[in-house]
Amino acid sequence: MADFSPGLEGVVAAETAVSEVDGANGRLIYRGGYLIEDLVPVVSYEEVAYLLWHGELPNESQLDALSEEMAGARALNESARGSLTAIDAADDPMDILRTVVSAQGATKTLIKPSLEEAVALTAVFPTIVGATWRRRLRKEVMEPRSDLGHAANLLWMMNGEEPSAEKAHWLDTYLVLLADHGLNASTFAARVVASTGSDLTSCVVGAIAALKGPAHGGATLAARNMLDKIGSADNAERWLTEAHARHERFSGFGHRVYRTYDPRAKILREMAKTAAPELYTTAAKTEEVALRILHEAHPDRPNATNVDFWASVVLTGVGIPKELFTTIFATSRVAGWTAHVLESLSDLRLIRPASRWVGPQPGKKPLQLAKR
Amino acid sequence: MSSYVPGLEGIVASQTAISMVDGQNGRLVYQGYVIADLAEEMSFEEVAFLLWEGRLPNRAELDALSIELANHRNLTQAATTALDALPPDTDPMDVLRSVVSVQGVEHRLARPTIPLAIHATASFPTILAMFHRRQLELEPVKPRAGLGHAANYLYMMNGEESSPEIVRALNTYLVLLADHGMNASTFTARVIASTESDLTSALVGAIGALKGPAHGGAPSVVIEQLELIGEAGDPETYMRGMRKRKEKFMGFGHRLYRVYDPRAKILKEMCRRMNPKFYDLAARVEEIALRILNEEHPERPQSTNVEFYSAGVLQAIGLPREYFTPTFASARVAGWSAHVLEQAAHNRIIRPQSEYIGPEPRKPVPLGQRA
Repeated sequence: MADFSPGLEGVVAAETAVSEVDGANGRLIYRGGYLIEDLVPVVSYEEVAYLLWHGELPNESQLDALSEEMAGARALNESARGSLTAIDAADDPMDILRTVVSAQGATKTLIKPSLEEAVALTAVFPTIVGATWRRRLRKEVMEPRSDLGHAANLLWMMNGEEPSAEKAHWLDTYLVLLADHGLNASTFAARVVASTGSDLTSCVVGAIAALKGPAHGGATLAARNMLDKIGSADNAERWLTEAHARHERFSGFGHRVYRTYDPRAKILREMAKTAAPELYTTAAKTEEVALRILHEAHPDRPNATNVDFWASVVLTGVGIPKELFTTIFATSRVAGWTAHVLESLSDLRLIRPASRWVGPQPGKKPLQLAKR
Repeated sequence: MSSYVPGLEGIVASQTAISMVDGQNGRLVYQGYVIADLAEEMSFEEVAFLLWEGRLPNRAELDALSIELANHRNLTQAATTALDALPPDTDPMDVLRSVVSVQGVEHRLARPTIPLAIHATASFPTILAMFHRRQLELEPVKPRAGLGHAANYLYMMNGEESSPEIVRALNTYLVLLADHGMNASTFTARVIASTESDLTSALVGAIGALKGPAHGGAPSVVIEQLELIGEAGDPETYMRGMRKRKEKFMGFGHRLYRVYDPRAKILKEMCRRMNPKFYDLAARVEEIALRILNEEHPERPQSTNVEFYSAGVLQAIGLPREYFTPTFASARVAGWSAHVLEQAAHNRIIRPQSEYIGPEPRKPVPLGQRA
């Protein structure tokens, strides 16, 4: 019998050229061989999506064509609008996203995943997130603006006003940073669904469902909630010491793969200084104390700040309400999910692992109902 | 670096006490019981209880479960509205994926529990029947509390009660398909549950996976293929032509079974009794297909899988073929939710590795300078 590795830790489940997490050296490599810190200063989210889908960065005319295609695919269809309005505005935004994406992609017959569909699905996420927020505020749902880029349009649809160039840039950088990350649980879910020959919407819906989990996409919200509880830099020492004594986990620290500081966290940390100066002060002190406590408790473990911690600060600076954090994560990651699905099509093989039986010895005979 | 195993074949992804596929001996075991001992004796409700609780219910427990299921057959207002917003020609699997997603919204991020599993399982037939009635431009039929799970599904679909023989056949189908080890949709559900996401999310992901033709999407294709073969005159000539064109025979082969799938055996016998027209052609096609496949790959164990005779049974039950895979989902939801409960009870996030096969790190060229 094969060995059992809980959580498939260390098991290679796919070959991929979409991205690579080099945890030992703290590097995130996107398709084409680009290090994340090299991409951030030069590319927009649209360029990164193009890169993940095509394997090359676009030139100006290719980028214009993609931007135009995305801007033209932002509207919800009738099924999606019907689902959106059916759900109470106060419900979980991830449940709304899961449902509306499912309805938007409902078709008559099964369609093989395509690049065109990847573009269209990616384009529609900001529309759903924006409408979710407007409904919650009991304000009019905004129509998408085709003259705005992906990040700026998202803020427009949420707030009903054009964002400052700075805010659009911070959000765009966040979207670039989170667009892919190796074989994480949601991407893996998408690849498992794809392996059955199912459609792209089913893959993306499965990925949203996985990202919703607090152990995955929900971690950004958890980090912000912890910062809210700490409240101020002065309170960090006391709060964290007490939380540690209660055996509470510190949100925003630790990652299965990185053994050093997460390169995305490094970039977000720097941005947080200007994006959210006040929260930055609390967060920086929190980080210092948390890392010290964790190191004292587990000197053997590489304890480092993860992307969720600093993402929660930057998104706050952008003006994103924390209830939407996970949906904004999804809005970024959908480029990676779809790129992985498209990549897997070239050598599609059903992902069907084995399980180890730990139940009763087979062959016991069922008793008749009356005798039980 | 560990080596890549395509499709995770043979890699143990979970420990489970829910079901075991013993491919060498052609056995499917639910919580210790061999499927052949359950299939024609148990109601779907009893088997669902078995999968969730780990033991068969006594009379009082079964009655309580039946009442709980019957009480949760109605859709929420949001789910009904969302269902009505989908065009009538939508694939019922997409309907199921979308409406199950809405139906679960009220539970938000609740920890998976048996009551939630019961509520979800109860809702599947209602979603399918309501949509089917809408496609036919007929009034929806309200669920009938006095009917069991299988009988009520058919009643809501057709607007009248089905004969005991038909109900029994559907019940047996639901029992046979209720769980099957770490298949792709169940594994999807467990991956989703491993992030501490909710039961609805896990089920929605599983429905998406089941939709794929390499998993649950095959039975309707079996019928289409049989029709083509049946119309072609000499089946063997036609089927050899298919292989020359590299076409796949639908309903054959399984990664795990090395002998005849025990479910297929039971369904084949049901088909012979209930759908003789289908059976005559199917049995002949089966014989030819296995012979051709064996000639091509004598080293491979070739056998008929559960999809093949499922098609004939579901046809005899009177279900439209677009509802074959959704009916499969209505059975498997019991297994999916049992696996989610088991995953949640012994959780560790499922996050495998990938092997990077892209280029070595290089610097990006700014937009204006790209070719």
